[in-house]
This record gives sequence, structure tokens and C-alpha cells, in this order.
Amino acid sequence: MADKLLIGISAHIVTSAHWRGGRIVECLTFANDEGGQADFKEYLDRSADMPAHIMVDAVEEDYRFETLPHAYGSDRAEMVGRKLKQHYRNTTYMAATLLGRDTGKRRDDRYLFSALTNPDLIADWLQAVAARGMPIAGIYLLPMVGSGLLDKLDVKATNLLLVAQHATGLRLTFFRDRQFRLSRLTRGDSGRPENRTRYFTEEISNTRLYLHALRTMTLDEHLTVLLVDRGDELQEEAVGVARDNPSLDCVRLGRGELAGRLGIDNSLLEASPYAIYLHLLGLKAPLSNLAPASTMVGYRRYQARRAIYAACGALAVAAAVWSGTNLYQTVMLRGDTEDAARQTALLSSQYLEITRQFPQAPTSAENLKKTVEIAQRLRATAHTPQKVMALLGRALETSPAIVIREFGWKYGVTEIEAEGAGARTLDAAPSARAPAGQRKESALLDGEVRPFRGDYRSAIVTINGFAGRLAEEPEVSEVKVIKLPLNVNPALSLSGNTLDNPEQGGTAEFKLLLVLKPPK
Amino acid sequence: MNQADLQALRNPLLMVAGVALLGALAVYSSGRLMIAARQQLAQQQVQLKDARTRLHKSGEEKDIIVRYLDGFRQLERTGFVGEEQRINWLDGLRLANQQADLFGVDYQIGAQRPYAYAADFSPGALALNQSIMRVRFRLLHEGDLDRFLDALARQGAGIFAIDQCLMRRIDTRGVIRFQPNVNAECDLSWITVRVGASGEQKKP
Repeated sequence: MADKLLIGISAHIVTSAHWRGGRIVECLTFANDEGGQADFKEYLDRSADMPAHIMVDAVEEDYRFETLPHAYGSDRAEMVGRKLKQHYRNTTYMAATLLGRDTGKRRDDRYLFSALTNPDLIADWLQAVAARGMPIAGIYLLPMVGSGLLDKLDVKATNLLLVAQHATGLRLTFFRDRQFRLSRLTRGDSGRPENRTRYFTEEISNTRLYLHALRTMTLDEHLTVLLVDRGDELQEEAVGVARDNPSLDCVRLGRGELAGRLGIDNSLLEASPYAIYLHLLGLKAPLSNLAPASTMVGYRRYQARRAIYAACGALAVAAAVWSGTNLYQTVMLRGDTEDAARQTALLSSQYLEITRQFPQAPTSAENLKKTVEIAQRLRATAHTPQKVMALLGRALETSPAIVIREFGWKYGVTEIEAEGAGARTLDAAPSARAPAGQRKESALLDGEVRPFRGDYRSAIVTINGFAGRLAEEPEVSEVKVIKLPLNVNPALSLSGNTLDNPEQGGTAEFKLLLVLKPPK
Repeated sequence: MNQADLQALRNPLLMVAGVALLGALAVYSSGRLMIAARQQLAQQQVQLKDARTRLHKSGEEKDIIVRYLDGFRQLERTGFVGEEQRINWLDGLRLANQQADLFGVDYQIGAQRPYAYAADFSPGALALNQSIMRVRFRLLHEGDLDRFLDALARQGAGIFAIDQCLMRRIDTRGVIRFQPNVNAECDLSWITVRVGASGEQKKP
């Protein structure tokens, strides 16, 4: 838990408490004068950096209950700010606390406006804190801080008057249904015990009359007076108040009970009348913070700094956990790898032992098998021109006029080329990566019709008949006539002389492409 | 938050940036280590699985060696396995020419290169190579082509595939006597296989 500097300022004394680990560890009191301020500055110089929470106990305080139309966000802030400025023109220390919604039809918002109407009371002390560079976390009025006492003591009374003797006078704070309604600080003579009883009784009666006038509580209603007696010196007063006011209960909280129920040291209760309130302030700051935004700048930065450092810590922890998890898994994985390597080595040694009994082989069993199988397949799938020549022979038997002059054959993915098959170089042989597709046999026939006596029609019929017979063979996929003796294509020009004697040099040449079906 | 606030919070912001950077670096580095360890484990597990399979199939492996070793040795002798035996090929050509009663064979052998249709045989770790041999010879008639190719295959000089052949009739002006009547030219792919260093047996 972070350290805090808790400062209680009153017109006469200033109490400074160092909060650490959920309790006050040091409590000092300074006079509210120049000497006290000088001592306070020295004390601050010796202190570490920590946020300062300031509590003020002064007569110059004001409380107002207001009902405002229900609003949200900036509208609410603007309306509340305007109201505060209307009420408190001469101070910057003011606050509005939303108490809840009204029970009427409009369900307006109920506010408690509070202010320290004499800012000069704390100006020098604030300046000393600011000069030291300590952030100011908040400025609170003592009655607001005192509300925390009811929570700590778990008081159930409907109408409760908290009465405590302070350095500046008698502080009477009224709570209805545990909600703050009124607080008074009276300056009266409380010297002798008999006067003090009367003084207490009178002030309690005055407060009841005031509450009656404000219509906060009637005189007939039962009231519980909680008398805070930090010095165990108000036993008679408690008895006297109860005796003089039959309609109220007076409960005295002595030093021992206060120390026990609040968890505060006896020595602190003795050191300052404000130690109780500073302890409550250390435990929990009330909502009604009077400090303006300009005063809180340092604290905002302090909080931002702490948040960033916390984020740093969270990041570092997250990164450490993440990295640690990764490293842990890495170690586990490496362990598994080593186990697997050991098993592999063991199995390999067993395998080696077994292979010593194998026949001596030039390569692995798999390579032996594959090599022999590839050789068998190469032999089994070897292709020669013999098949094409056989079916060509069958076709020629029925076509005696056809004479083959040139025969080309190819077994490959692509068909044999129509021209220049013999002019290839070895570089034009199948490349390292053959084109995709199944290999098939193809043949190119270059021949002529003999005898030829200029009868192109008859020659073309003979050639087409020969091609047709080839195409009828079941192994043939395609027969294509590439060249005919006479090109009758209407897209080309054609010339000649009918007086030419074909027997003296005319030929009826043709070219056929034959493609077999791929082997299954 | 204004400029003054940022100035006041400069050091904490620098620190958070530094911590974030260092944290990211630590997470990244440790993550890389973990990924590398995971990959090593995966590799080791594959090796373990291989070793287990190999041991499990060691009996089967022995059977394969016994069954295929002789055939493999025979292929080594023919020159199918290992380095090319071009002298054997030329001897084979010479003998085939004699046995087919041809008029001599011209040859031209190209540089060795990977076999173009190796993928059809799924060779795995084996390297199939080919050298194209172009042979030119003259035939008495077309039937001699088949006789010549059969004779060449019978020589046991290796394994070859016929890529293509071309036969062209020679104009003899109608004279009939024992003389070449057909010019022939064929491209043969002599195929060899390389199985790694000689005597190397696959070890785990």
C-alpha cells in the first residue's frame, strides 16, 4: 500500500501523519503560525515523496443541500459548476457530492454542496507542500472525513449526533440514516468540568433546536449522541448530558474502545485530536474533495506515473511468464528430442546388427528392387517401328499403285514433324524434362502414285483410299493427308498446262501422317 | 493530457517503452527457441519412425536383397547400372551390323543428360540418365531395320529405347543386285542408372 502524508489543518494546530502499510507510523503536531510552518517545511524536507491528503477543521465551512434536474455528463458538470460558483464566489475549495435521486415525480438529483469559505487558512500550508513537490491528492472538510467513523463503528442509530472536543472547539456533526446532514464547530469555554457538562448540554440542545428549525429533525424524535472521548476525560459529561436530556442516548467512546475498534495506537490518540480523523482519511478518502483541478495537477501526474509503472510491472511479469513458459516448453521439447534420439540410436544399432547377416549388396534393398524393376519396365515397354511397318504393309497389299519413298517413325509425346525429320541435330533430341502427356507412336509417309498419267482425280482417290485403309486399323488413332498431288485449296493459286506430258516427268506425290493410339 | 503532462511523464513512458521492447524481445527469442526445438523434435521423431520401420522390415529387406541381387549384378555387367559403357555400345553396333548383314553403321553419340521420361518410372533416389546415339546405315530392304535393332538388343551392351527412325528409298534406277536400297537413320536413347557410390549400402 502506498505511503501518504495526511495533514489536518485547524486554526490552532496542524497535525501531520505519515501513513504506511495501512496505518499511521508517525504523527507530528505543528502550531498554526510562522514557527510551526518553518518546522513543517523542515519536516517535509526530511520526508520522502508521497501524495498529501489534507483535512480542514474550521468554522469557515459551508454545507448546502440542493436539488437539481437530473442530467448526465457535461450537462451535469456544467450545471453543478454554475451552482457552485453562485454559492461560493470567494473560494476555490468547493465540492458537490451527488447523494441520490429525489423521490418525487421528477426524480431530481440531490446534491450536497460543501466549501471551505476561508482559503487563506490553508494557503501557506498548501504552498509548503507544493514547494516540496508533493502532489496534493485532495482537500476535505473534517465532518466529511468523520462520516467514515460511522462505518467503522457500524452505528445503526437513525438520528446520530457525533460530538468531539477539538482544539478549536466542540464539533457536533449530525447524521440521519447515516447520511451527513449538518456540522457545527462551536467556540466556547470548557475549562472546568462542571462548566463543560453544561456547555456540552447546551450545545447539544442548540443543535437540536437548529435541526428542528431546519425541519431536519423534530424535537420529539429520539437522538443518539456519540461522544468521542479520546482522552478518557468525559465520563461525567456523558452522564450529565444523558441526565439532562431524557430523550436522547449518550454513548461515550473511550480511548480503549476507539483504539480497539479503529485499530489505532493509544499514543496517536494522545498525540493529536485529529489522529482519529487522519486515520479514517488514510483508510478511505471521502467523495467530497474540495481541491480544484489546478491543485490536483501534480496528483494526476503522480497517479499517471504510478499507473505507467504498474503497467511496466504487468508487462514485465507477463513477458517473464510468457518467456518462461516458452523456455519451459523448449526444455521439455529438447528432452523429448534427446529421448527420441536415444531410441533412434538404439533401434539403429539393432538394425545394424541384423544387417550384418544380410548378403553383401552394393546398395540398399530398395534400390536393388527399383533398379531391376525399372530395367524390366524399360524392356517391356520398348517400342520399335515394326508395328507401324506391319500395318503399313497390310494397307499396301490392297493399294499396289502406292509407292513409299520415305518413312519416318517416332515414339514420343509429340508427333513426328512433317518436314526435316532427318535434318535434326542431337541437341534437338528430347530434353531433360519431356513435355507433359503420354507417349505414342507416329509415322510420316512420303510417297507417290505410280503409274501416274496426269489423272489427278484418280490419284487423289487412290491416296484417300490408302489413307482410309490405314485409318480402319484398330490401333490407328488418326490418319492425316498432309500433301496431295494437286492442291485444290481455293485459298491458294493454282497453275499448269494441260499439254504437259505427265509420262515424261509428272508425279503424283503425297504425304500422310499416321498416329497410333497410346499404349494402355 | 497536455505538453507539460507529457514532459512530466517522459521517463515513465520511456521506461514502459523499454520494458515493452525488452519483453517483446524476450518473448520473441524464447518463442523462436521453442519453435526450433519443436522442429528438431519433429525431425527426430521422423528419424525414429524410419528407424523403427527399418528394423521392423529388416526381414523383408533381406528377402528383397536375396531376390534382386543377381538381377542387379547382371544389369551392372550389361552397363545399365553405373557409368556409361560406350565401348560396349560400339562393340554391340559392330556385331549387330555383322549379324544383320548391313553395309556399315555410322554413329554419333551426344552428351549424357538426365533421362527425359524418368518420371514415368518413379525412380526415387535413383538417377536415370540417357545418351542419344544417332546411327546411320544402309539396308538391303526395310525388313533389315527390325533385324538390326533386334541384333543390337541381343548384344547385351545395355538398355536402349528407340526414339525415332527415318528410312528413305535409294533410287537404283531399277537395277536389281545386292546393294543398299534404303538409307536409314535412328535415334536411340541409351539409358543408365546411378545408384550412388559403389558398395554403399543404405545405413540408418
